[in-house]
Amino acid sequence: MKPSLPPAFYTVFISLILSSCASSGANSPDFDQQFRPPPFRDTDIDDQIMAKWSRSCALCHITGEAGAPIVGDTLEWQRRLQQGEQAVLNNVLDGYNSMPPLGYCMACEISDFRAMIAYMAGEDR
Amino acid sequence: MKPISRRRFLASSVRAALFGAYAAGASAFAQSAAWSNWSGGQRCQPAGRYDIGSEEELTSLLRNTLGPIRPVGSGHSFSPLVPTDGHLVIIDQLSGILDYDSETSKVTLGAGSRLGDLGAQLDGIGQGMINLPDIDRQTVAGAIATGTHGTGVTLQALSAFITSLRLVSPNGNIMDIDSSDEDMLHAVRVNVGALGIVTQVTMQNRESYKLKKREWAAPTEDILANFDELAANHRHFEIFPLVYSDYSLVLSIDETDEPIGEIEIENEPSDDASIAESLGLSDNPTPAQRRRQSNATASRIQATESVDLSYKILSNVRNSRFNEMEYSVPVEVGAECLREILKTIYDQQIEVNFVLEYRYVGADDDWLSMSYGDHPHATISIHRAASEDYRPYFNTIEPIFWKYGGRPHWGKLHSLTHRELTQLYPRFGDFIQLRRELDPQGRMLNPHLRALFNA
Repeated sequence: MKPSLPPAFYTVFISLILSSCASSGANSPDFDQQFRPPPFRDTDIDDQIMAKWSRSCALCHITGEAGAPIVGDTLEWQRRLQQGEQAVLNNVLDGYNSMPPLGYCMACEISDFRAMIAYMAGEDR
Repeated sequence: MKPISRRRFLASSVRAALFGAYAAGASAFAQSAAWSNWSGGQRCQPAGRYDIGSEEELTSLLRNTLGPIRPVGSGHSFSPLVPTDGHLVIIDQLSGILDYDSETSKVTLGAGSRLGDLGAQLDGIGQGMINLPDIDRQTVAGAIATGTHGTGVTLQALSAFITSLRLVSPNGNIMDIDSSDEDMLHAVRVNVGALGIVTQVTMQNRESYKLKKREWAAPTEDILANFDELAANHRHFEIFPLVYSDYSLVLSIDETDEPIGEIEIENEPSDDASIAESLGLSDNPTPAQRRRQSNATASRIQATESVDLSYKILSNVRNSRFNEMEYSVPVEVGAECLREILKTIYDQQIEVNFVLEYRYVGADDDWLSMSYGDHPHATISIHRAASEDYRPYFNTIEPIFWKYGGRPHWGKLHSLTHRELTQLYPRFGDFIQLRRELDPQGRMLNPHLRALFNA
């Protein structure tokens, strides 16, 4: 139960524990223009991986909680993938910002993560 | 597929030989990443990770492998509960609502369900959890096993709302435990994953409900002077004391029928605000300057109110990762303990960028609960960013908790040993005896637990 705070508060207490979930990409004004439905049928992600995804990545990547790039937001995913797929994969394995190492998927193999990244980015594999 | 080095392959082969390979049912991983907890502070490279799809797979795994087994949920424990060189058991697939009763507001859940997934699902059947922790990414099994709690002087830890559970013992036997054996239920709810693996639980909920949250800033001493009364008058009440400051952020939550929404309440800045304007913000403030700045900033915080469904109010998302230490102390000495921590941070000029957290938790009867007993406990949490070394800060503060009879949260960092824990938890010896009976070989132990339980 952490209260969200007025922005001015962060001028002093930048790293406070009291982070809110207000950073969702869904709140940005051009969200509607950027969002593309995820290309479910074109992406090589089998039912087993999809089930793992829905129990882990989906927690944040559907709503964009804590700044997570939203599934199907191809522009944002392409921006991140410009660093190379391995860099994005390393973020998953090591954790990045509020995403923990392995992205809450303790059951995922590295190949699963690759498929999930491609799926969320809307890439054909 | 990324190649595996010869050295790594040989190491894996040796571990598999030592701990026993498992051939049937649940799948082991061909290309595993190292396991790490949420903060990154705990790591291991288990010999096998098993993604359990059913209780049958789990019983088969337990009966057909040798060596250490550790269950893992969401990895939100900061303490080394999980790390193992043996087998890691994942129960994510054992999730979701299995059964429910609208009359009694009880629900039976797969123990691998994540708390954050349950809110909407439960609302769909007209139910809401009685309380939630402020992070809701944990699995039900993990939250219960570690004694995870929310806030509320009359509201107990999550484990206390479990009316029955199914435990698969280390030798693969299925045990259904409910209130017909109350002592056993109190023993196994907070189990730190040392008694077996919980596969399903029945949870006492209530009808779906809305909560109204109010947040504001106030002088810490003003709040502490009336904390008992405030805690009694609100369903949830807690403060987040600002370090180097006389202020706390205050949070109260109560049930409401008001419509869902959020409003900001205009408040008059106190004199502290004008002090800040005249001071300006310096880059390298002394503790006294920092206190004035913090007070001034805090005094300008506007109160806000919001109304939403209970699960949306009670839990929050974190934008950064950290490590945490949390102890419970008797409420009678809670404020004194908090004051000493704040004074120590100030006097020793410990660099802290997180607020503290101070709240009450209701008493319960679970043997390893940090709120075990007849009276509620005050809990105090301290945090350090995951990227920073937490040890100097935590090592300085932890003895203060001990001085006030503090009991550690099992999922958070502490350095207590078997000897102290035996003094702090009246049923600790009974738990150790039960653990020995269920797991004479100590399969469910890792080095951390082996030390705690003197095994």
